Amino acid sequence: MPEHDIHASPFVSPEGPDKITVRDLDFFYGDFQALAGIGVSIKQKAVTAFIGPSGCGKSTFLRCFNRMNDLIPGTRATGLVTMDGQDIYAPGVDPVDLRRRVGMIFQQPNPFPMSIYDNVAYGPRLHGVKKRAELDDIVRSSLERANLWKEVKDILDRNGLALSGGQQQRLCIARVLAVEPEVMLMDEPCSAIDPTSVQKIEDLMAELTDRITIVIVTHNMQQAARVSEFTAFFLQEIAGDPAVLVEYDRTANIFTSPQDRRTEDYITGRFG
Amino acid sequence: MREGFRQELKDLKAEVHKIGTDVTDMTRKAVTSLVEGDVDIAQEVIDFDDSMDARCLGIEEHALEVIATQSPVARDLRLLYSLTYMALHLERMADLAVNIAKATKRTAARRGPQTLYDLIQAQGNLVYRVLDATMEAFEKSDLELARKLEDLDEPIDHLYKQFFRELGRLQDEDDIEWASSMVLAARYLERIADNAVDIGERIAYLVTGEFEGP
Repeated sequence: MPEHDIHASPFVSPEGPDKITVRDLDFFYGDFQALAGIGVSIKQKAVTAFIGPSGCGKSTFLRCFNRMNDLIPGTRATGLVTMDGQDIYAPGVDPVDLRRRVGMIFQQPNPFPMSIYDNVAYGPRLHGVKKRAELDDIVRSSLERANLWKEVKDILDRNGLALSGGQQQRLCIARVLAVEPEVMLMDEPCSAIDPTSVQKIEDLMAELTDRITIVIVTHNMQQAARVSEFTAFFLQEIAGDPAVLVEYDRTANIFTSPQDRRTEDYITGRFG
Repeated sequence: MREGFRQELKDLKAEVHKIGTDVTDMTRKAVTSLVEGDVDIAQEVIDFDDSMDARCLGIEEHALEVIATQSPVARDLRLLYSLTYMALHLERMADLAVNIAKATKRTAARRGPQTLYDLIQAQGNLVYRVLDATMEAFEKSDLELARKLEDLDEPIDHLYKQFFRELGRLQDEDDIEWASSMVLAARYLERIADNAVDIGERIAYLVTGEFEGP
């Protein structure tokens, strides 16, 4: 990463211990600048929601936290992203290890085409866990934490893809939890599943923050209001311009008394 | 965007404003009936109360419906909350006006000392000023005016105390029931203004998003 002045960007940090800190982040897809001057701190063991109109860079920003954008050719990020004070873009940081620490859930559930058991055991096996008893424990506790155990305990050898959409998504969450991440990124995790499953996943998020930090991108503002403690609003004001972070605050403040007119207009449905 | 929803908020706000001006009217009539000993006007105020209760309840029901179906946030949510709060207070204010009208019916048969009627009228005039300012602050989302209501209310409390001092001067032959009805009427008037000051605090919240203490 190039030189940066950590005091150069507007920086927003509500009270509470930080997990991830971002300063002066610019992000480019080739010549197109998608994000400009983002400065924000993500609070530890809380749920933070990113909201904003389509194409405002929420998901792009989310993917900066586990360097998923590295996999897209022609992209580059400048600025500083730290987790627990360590620059995650520094030379010597292993992106694969980073992605174990910072897991990700996508819009479409994406279980591997293998058994439920093997889906959850996949990560631990990759990281060297071989003993069957140990794997059994991890699989069970991960599925329990993902609120899926009761539904699948007798069918662990069935293919993960045979489950319903909502169950598949919880299986993916269990798969992430199995490698004991510190952060879980969720990119529209509920937009492709039925309402009952949505509720289960929302309940689950609250439970998981006893140990992990969650960042969720959602188009559903009521969901952001329900599940998150902090909310960040992103906006690309003019097509072709980079998106900026307009407002970041406690969720209750954002949804009762937003300070920025653009936030107010967006969440009340006056545009977007 | 969300045109139907916007229109509903507008209609609700207009109806609450109308209820507010009707409460002011009821208060004026109640005070006039008391000071002039006019039981017909008093009855008019009493008869008006049922429709007032229904309209205030209607605001609460409608606001709840909109909250349930439209998931309002930010200033829309603050507006619906404030409207509900106002409806509740306006309904109480209407009840207090009715109580004053009932005092007219109890006291109209005899005439007491003019000083006390004058004090009630003076107090009434100050209360109308608070009520008018409240509804203007609401209509125009006028933060400065909303914050001034407490100051406008102060001389009313002052007059209420003066009212008590005057009562102390009553002679033994004065009718105690008459006097106590007048005291209660003065108390009701003072409470009407207090409710309006509470509404003013919610108008300030509506505008700023911050709860300001009394």
